[in-house]
Parts: sequence; structure tokens; C-alpha cells
Amino acid sequence: MMLPLGPQAVLATGVLGSLSLGLMRRPPPLALRALAVASVAAAMFIAAWTTAGPLDSSIVLSDSKSLGWQYLIYLGALPMALALDGEDDVLVALFLGSLLGMSLLASAANLPMLFIALEFMSLPAYLLVARSRPGTRGLEAAIKYFFAGGVAGALFLLGLSLYYADTRSLAASTGLTPLGQAGATLMAAAALFKIGAFPLNWWLPDVYEAAAPEVSGFLSTAMKAAGVLFLMRLCELAPQASFAVSLPAIGALTALVGSVMALRQESLQRLFAYSSISNAGLLILGVGAWAASGRSGDGVSAILFFLGAYAFMSNGTFAFIRYSGLSTRTQLKGRGAAMPAAAAAFTILLFALGGIPPTGGFIAKLLLLWRAVDAGMLWPASIGALSALISLSYYLGMTRELWFEAPAEGPAPESGRGAALVIACAAGVLLLGAAPWLMSSLGGALAP
Amino acid sequence: MSMPLTLLWTLPLLGAVVCAFMGKRAKYAALAFSAAFLGAALAITWVARSTAALAVVTELGPVWAYGISYRLSADSLSLGLIALTALLNLICVASSWKLDVSAGYWACFMALASALTGVFLARDLFFFYVFWEATLIPMFFIIGLWGSSNRMHAALKFFLFTFSGSVFMLLALLALVSAHHRVTGVWTWDLALLDSTTLGAAAPLVFWGLVLGFAVKIPMVPLHTWLPDAHTEAPAAGSVMLAGIMLKMGVYGLLRIALPLFPVLSWEALPILGGLAALSTIYGAFCAMAQTDLKRMIAYSSIAHLGFCLLGVLSRTSQGLVGGSLQLLNHGLTTGALFLMVGFIYERAHKRGLADFGDLASRAPYLAFFFGFSTLASIGLPGLNGFVGEFMSLSGALAALPVLAFLGLVGVTLAAAYALPAFQAVFWAPEGPGSVSAKVTDLDFRERGVLWTLSALMLWIGLAPNAWLAWLEPSLRGLVR
Repeated sequence: MMLPLGPQAVLATGVLGSLSLGLMRRPPPLALRALAVASVAAAMFIAAWTTAGPLDSSIVLSDSKSLGWQYLIYLGALPMALALDGEDDVLVALFLGSLLGMSLLASAANLPMLFIALEFMSLPAYLLVARSRPGTRGLEAAIKYFFAGGVAGALFLLGLSLYYADTRSLAASTGLTPLGQAGATLMAAAALFKIGAFPLNWWLPDVYEAAAPEVSGFLSTAMKAAGVLFLMRLCELAPQASFAVSLPAIGALTALVGSVMALRQESLQRLFAYSSISNAGLLILGVGAWAASGRSGDGVSAILFFLGAYAFMSNGTFAFIRYSGLSTRTQLKGRGAAMPAAAAAFTILLFALGGIPPTGGFIAKLLLLWRAVDAGMLWPASIGALSALISLSYYLGMTRELWFEAPAEGPAPESGRGAALVIACAAGVLLLGAAPWLMSSLGGALAP
Repeated sequence: MSMPLTLLWTLPLLGAVVCAFMGKRAKYAALAFSAAFLGAALAITWVARSTAALAVVTELGPVWAYGISYRLSADSLSLGLIALTALLNLICVASSWKLDVSAGYWACFMALASALTGVFLARDLFFFYVFWEATLIPMFFIIGLWGSSNRMHAALKFFLFTFSGSVFMLLALLALVSAHHRVTGVWTWDLALLDSTTLGAAAPLVFWGLVLGFAVKIPMVPLHTWLPDAHTEAPAAGSVMLAGIMLKMGVYGLLRIALPLFPVLSWEALPILGGLAALSTIYGAFCAMAQTDLKRMIAYSSIAHLGFCLLGVLSRTSQGLVGGSLQLLNHGLTTGALFLMVGFIYERAHKRGLADFGDLASRAPYLAFFFGFSTLASIGLPGLNGFVGEFMSLSGALAALPVLAFLGLVGVTLAAAYALPAFQAVFWAPEGPGSVSAKVTDLDFRERGVLWTLSALMLWIGLAPNAWLAWLEPSLRGLVR
């Protein structure tokens, strides 16, 4: 079955549908929730089980690679769809709109389309951050996010104009002069800004901390996947660009900085924000190894596997924060016994984030670091391994607080709903550890 | 023979899952599954006793990409360690019977037994590494949740320290597999197919990466600092599994992976590694001498004992290899018994300092008998198991590098110098002012049964070692230089 741009059509319908429902005096929450889940699930289904179709277009494409990426992006977004409470029709529309932007990004065939998709996914995301949590902090974070995104967009446009001035082309092109190299580097900087690479990561912790947990989960998985894809598309469109050489070093440094900064965080959402920076560093290292080794299929499948496993790990941890109502590490103390099932699932996710077998997190880290070792990048790979070791001390530290320590004084925060989501994410990450080939059997493009 | 080996590690894992859902009755499930596990281990050992190379193989084609395949095999070395795992696991369950602990306690011990068995069975290095790391998780919880006062610090230190060593091991394995692929064009993690000559100039780096991972686990001085904390803070049964089995993983890794893959490099490294092993025996003994805590003393003595095993194994002579391997089993029995008894004393008196007791021999004669018996076995009294292992290890070392054997002999002497005074202080010396000996009642029927089992094995190996040595020898023949 061939449905070119089918997922995009489904998502666009979802956006229009949620806005239409919003026209009613009291939009039914259940219908809005069902619409969000159904849109994402349908898009995911189409991306996973339809074959790539020919598309007579120079600006969008619908190949198996694009579908594979979309599948991963929807996988990262599904938990947020499940977590929406359906009270706010605009929130649903913003969420689906941002997702539509990401899926366009996965289908973009030339540089202007890449820019349009970038803005398409970013603009709703700013509002999503502001709207997901009442109060001024979300607003402040959204403005910061908007500013950072604006800078990234401006960098990209500037780079694009330099690149065009050099090559007279908006698509893949070889033989760059220094002018074109400068353009490609600026465009890559925009991508690194979006992913949150060091030193362009200053906005990220504030945003992830201020947004509602499920939004942070969405940003750290689907949005991160889109950012990595953005970077890889740039590597493909400008194969001779020199910025690719610096990616392993940037990645290793980002991984290290993220892990070290997370060490002293008290706020859980902020800690996981830094942890996502650290993981993004490993991904950038993986992209560097992929670019250096002739953009091999092995490199892509390692990156995809990491993103897939991370979709479970990060969404699961943020879902636990949402469910438990705990916001700091001190509040974690001794809470394991009060909610054994969700806390056990959270512990599995922490071990997975730490890269400990037999979880999918171990295989994800193993594959990425292995690609780097195979590409001869021993130093960046060692620094990546070191950052994983450092990160282990706070993942284990949280396990210790959750289970080993005595409960803190005072009333415990009330737990919300969504324990099943945490458990499902933990089960997913265990399954990926026990049967890693499942990942490649789902999306056709994900096969190694 | 495909099914039985898989059964060996899945049976305790199933036990862990069942225990986790049994609530207050989990200990009955733990007992049933431990007994079944021991039965299965002994049955397979018995069936395989006469096979020429003692190799039982389970194989399942490539499981995933990159040549990772599920391949299990067991020779007498593997089966000996698995049987010891099963025995000590059952003993841990029996000795913890009266503890008031949650279902997680029993589940952790069963999961630990499963992962340890996997380590001794795996012949695919990917699965080896997965099982290797998986042992850390249950032990982390055993120390952190049910240990004594400083347990949280010890649990974290244990995990981070040993995991750091393993990461170097993993990088070394990745480099080895990648190099093999680059030269031959074949992806494989199969221990029997991998060849270190493909590594070229990187071989020493990979060898030392592997050795680092194993040396932390053994632990070899100066990488031993996690051990005293972990052993002292763990609950008694946790210390038994730590000292009895988990320390053996390091020596097993050397025997199974580092020595066969790098026969030349490991021989050239003998002065360094053997020197560190001899240093471990002497340093461990001196540290043990200085301890005032009974449990900490036994913990340090483990460092010394593992040094003997290493001396034998590294000598690459027939008697050294077989003696060192037998000493692995011996140490599991004797130190396991000693940690159990310290646990029994601590359960009763909530103290374990040498100065907290006196004249225990008249208050608890059974305890004194078993403690004395195990202490003598541990310091190598002829007629008991420790003597056979130490004697053969040292004679192996004598043949390889005489100075190492001399240093090892110093260690043997020192062992008596810390173990006997400690026994004297606790069991024979008159009670001091703060003595809590009155709280220590003698061992009950269950506790005696556990210790009779261990003591009988110590005596059996000590009096009739030939059957054991002849059984172990075929597995180690290929390593003789």
C-alpha cells in the first residue's frame, strides 16, 4: 500500500478537527483526547506499514527513510498524546501542529522546505510550553525558547543565503568554496541550537523545567529526533561541508557537560533536561561517526535505535514525574514503597538511561559508541563512555533516594494519574533490551 | 543438549519473577526454586562428568545483527562454579529464613544466581558482558536495602567502581570484534572464533582493557578499595554471594577470555600481574591483621586468598591452573561459611567487633567448632581443602617465577597470623568489660545443617582432592604453557 504524505494528511486533519471541536461551547474532553491519540497512532501506523511511494516533487519526498524517521518521531510523541487531558482544544491543535512540522521536516527535499518545516514545528512548540502550565514561569521559559528558536532560524537563513550565493542551488550540491562552507556551518549551528549542543544549550534546562512534564518529554524525544534528522539532512545536502569533522568533538563535549551539570541538580525536570543534553551529545557523536564513515546504513540504524530507546526512557521518566507529583530529588526520598509499581518502572528507566544491561538503553549506547570506535574516533568515544559513567552516579543516586532512604518529613505530594504509561515505557525499554531486533522489524527503514 | 543449559539460568530467573509476586510467602518460592536450581545443576554436572572435553553446548544461530549469537557451553570449570552458585544460593536462602524481609530480598538473590550462572555459561562475548553487568543490579539492591548502617555509600561505591572497570572491558571487546570484522569480513562475538592477532599493534591496549575489567572484580590490589565496604555493609547472605561467587568472576574471566585470547601477552605480563597478585596476598593479610571488625577482617582475607588463586592461574602450569581453579571453589566454601557465621553472631548480638566478644567457645560450642574448622581450612591446614589449592597454586608459581612463590609463602604465614589471634580473641579469651557474648546463643538445627554441609565439602576436597583435580583438569589443559 502506498500513501505518499499520508501521515501529514492525517495530522493536518487532526489539527483542523481539534480546532473545529473548539468551536463548540464546551468541547468534549474525551473527543479531543481520542482525536489526539488517534491522529498520532494513525500517522504512526501509516509510517510503519506502508511502502514508500513515488512523489513527483522537488520539495518533499516520501521515501522509506523519511517514513522510518517519522515513525520514530510519532513514537516519541505518542506518550504526550496519551497524557493530554483534553480540556484545552488549542493545546491539542498546537501539539498536532508541531508534530506536523516535524513530519514535514522528515520529508523535506531541499533547504527552503527544511526551513519552513523547522519554523512549522517550532512556533507551536513555544506556545505549547507557555500554555501547558499556568503561571509566569512557563511564559518566561516560552519567551526564552522563542528567542533561542529565533536565533536558530536567523542563523539558518543567513547560512542558506551564503550557501545559495556560492552554489546557486537549493538542494544537494558539491564543490563548496569557503563562502558555501561558511553557509553550511551556519545552517549546522542552527541544527545544533535546536538539539541543544554545547555551548548552544543555555535555553534548554529552563524550558524543560518550566513546561509541563509531558511537554518536556515530547520536546526531549520527538523534537530531539527532528533536530538530529535536521543535522543529518544537512550533512547529506552538503556532503563536502567541513562542519561534519567537528561533530564528534562537539558531541563528546556536549555529553560530558550535560552529565557534569546534571550532577548537582535538585529539580528533577532540570536534572533530566541536562541528562537529555548529555544524550544529545552522544547522538551528535553518532552523527559525526556516520558522516565520517561514508554515511553508512549501520550508522543510521545506530542513531535510530538510540532515538527509539530514548523515546521510551525520556517519556517514561517525565511521565513518572507527572504521575508522582514529585519535583525534587529530596522529595524522592523513601517514596518507593508508597507506589511500588510505578517506582519500580521508574527505576528500570533510570538503569536504562545509565546504559546498564539488559535494557534497551544499554544496546542504544553500545551501538552508538561502537560506531564511533569503528570510525576510529577513540577519544570522543572514550569521553562519551566517561560521560555515561558520570551520569550513572545520579541515576543510581535517585534509585538510592527512592528505595534506600527514609521518607522525608511532612505530607507527600499527591500522585496523579498515568502510572500505566510509566510501566508501559519501562516494559518497552526492557523489551528492546531482550529483543533489539523488534525495532528493525517495525519500520522498514530501520533495518541495519 | 540444547535445553538444559538454558534451563540453568532461566530457572532461577523464573524464581525471581515468582518471588517478586508472592508477597509474604516469597521465601517458600525462593526455597523451592533454589532447591530445583541446585538439583538441575548437579544433574547436568553428573550427566556431563564423563564427556571427553566436558563440553555441553547450546547454540542458536545469530540472534541479531553484528554476529551476536546465543551460545552457551559448560565444561567442568563452568559447571563447578555453577554448582557452587546453586549451593551457596540455597544456603543463603536457608540462612536468611528467619529474617523479616520483603519479597524483593528473595527475588534479588534468585536474580543474582541467574545472572551469575549466565556469566559462567556464555560463550558469546556479548551475552557474557550482558550477564556480567546484570549481576550488579541485584547486588546493588541487596547491599543498599538490607545492608548495615553505611549501606547506601557502600552500594553506590560497589556499583560505580566495578562498572567503571567493566566499561574498559566493553571498549576492549568492541575493538576486538571490530578488528576481527575488518580483517576477516565476518562479524562474530564467538569466543572460539575471535583471534587477537587481527588486532595488530592495538593488541596490548585491548589486553590491558580486559585485564582492568577483571582485576577490579577479583579484586587485585590497588583496585580493591570497593571490596571492604561492600562486604562489610552487605547482609550476611549478600557477603556470602559477593565473596563466594562474584569475586570468582574476575579470575574466571581471565581463565576464559584473557588467557586464551592473548597467550603471549598474558605470559609477558606475568611479572606485573603476578607481582600484583603476590602483593594482594601480603597487603590483604596485613590489612586483615589490623582490623577490629570480624567481618571486615574476613573481607580483607578474601583479597589475600584471591591473590593465591591468581598466582596459580597466571603461572600457566598444569598444577597451578588446576590448583588455582580448585582454590576458587575452596574459597567459596570456607569464606562463605565464615561470613555466614559472622552473620549468625551479628543477628544475635548486633555487634561484630573482635573486642565485643570473649569466651564464646563455652557459650556456643557448635559455633566455635564450625568457626575453628572453617578458619583452619581457610589458612590452609593439611587435610582440609585450602591446603590443596594453596599448595598447588604455589608450586605452580614456583615453576613459573620462583620469587612469586616465595612472596606467596609469606602470605600463607601471615594468614595464620591474623586468623588465629582473631579466633582466640572471640572464642577463647576471657570476656572483656563490654562483652556481649551472653547474647550469643548456640546455633540451632537449621544453622548447623547449613554449616555441616559446607564443612563436609571442605573435608572431602581436603582428604580426596584427586577426583576434583582430575575433573577440573581437562577444562584447563589448553591453557598450559
